[in-house]
Amino acid sequence: MNGLMSTMMLSCKKATELVEKKSVVELAFTENIQLKMHLMVCSACKQYENQSKIIDLVLGQINKKNEEKQKLPQDVKTKIISEIEKK
Amino acid sequence: MSQDSKIIISNWLNEYGDELYSWAFYKTSNKETSEDLVQETFIAAFINFDKFQEKSAPKTWLFSILKNKIIDFYRKKSKEFSISYADYSNPIKQSDDLFNEDEGWNTISDITSQNWLDNPEFNAILSNCIKKLPENWRFIIQSKYILDNDSKQICQELDITTSNYWQIMHRSKLLLKKCIEFNWI
Repeated sequence: MNGLMSTMMLSCKKATELVEKKSVVELAFTENIQLKMHLMVCSACKQYENQSKIIDLVLGQINKKNEEKQKLPQDVKTKIISEIEKK
Repeated sequence: MSQDSKIIISNWLNEYGDELYSWAFYKTSNKETSEDLVQETFIAAFINFDKFQEKSAPKTWLFSILKNKIIDFYRKKSKEFSISYADYSNPIKQSDDLFNEDEGWNTISDITSQNWLDNPEFNAILSNCIKKLPENWRFIIQSKYILDNDSKQICQELDITTSNYWQIMHRSKLLLKKCIEFNWI
């Protein structure tokens, strides 16, 4: 039983890695079960999973807000025109 | 014909230049890069002017050229997106430090993350912590928002493996977690 448990149980490092992998690709059957089992008993990794989701959510909000107006400097405009003139 | 297209392109530059530049700046966070990308966009628009069909609005067409330029810009860096890239040994070590020899957590914080949401203070901390990540990691964890694509498409566009992608996500999130918890009172 011990042997089986240790092959089934992931380390926290591996479990958090799978949390990220899961958000990109579908996990293999065993990986999925291993992760579920780990998250059921490990509150620190469960917390990591929540924090990871919140970071993503807030990053989305921050990125929307940062879309502010900028002015293309006049000298760059002049340079672009002269580049086109050369063509 | 070519004289006409020069006039049209100059008009577009005056009309849409600022918007294109703002967008490039928002996607790359770098002035010089954004100026170059906008310049390349207008030159490409001029060269391919006959391909412009008035089926789409000029603005849409220019933005689609710029988007490709932005992706090219990041793709050129794609070798540096590999997790095994030499410059990353330090951040990898820092993220490893969160775990002990048995790969369990070294410290478990009792910070609850529920009040992180809709909290201006949290946003400020996160924005600061993000600046401490290696530039390409910062890009990877924001890439969904920068390229408006899902992760699989981003990997294709940047020509990186999905495993590199999620491994960098993992390392970045660990460092962010560490930095946020350290700064969160």
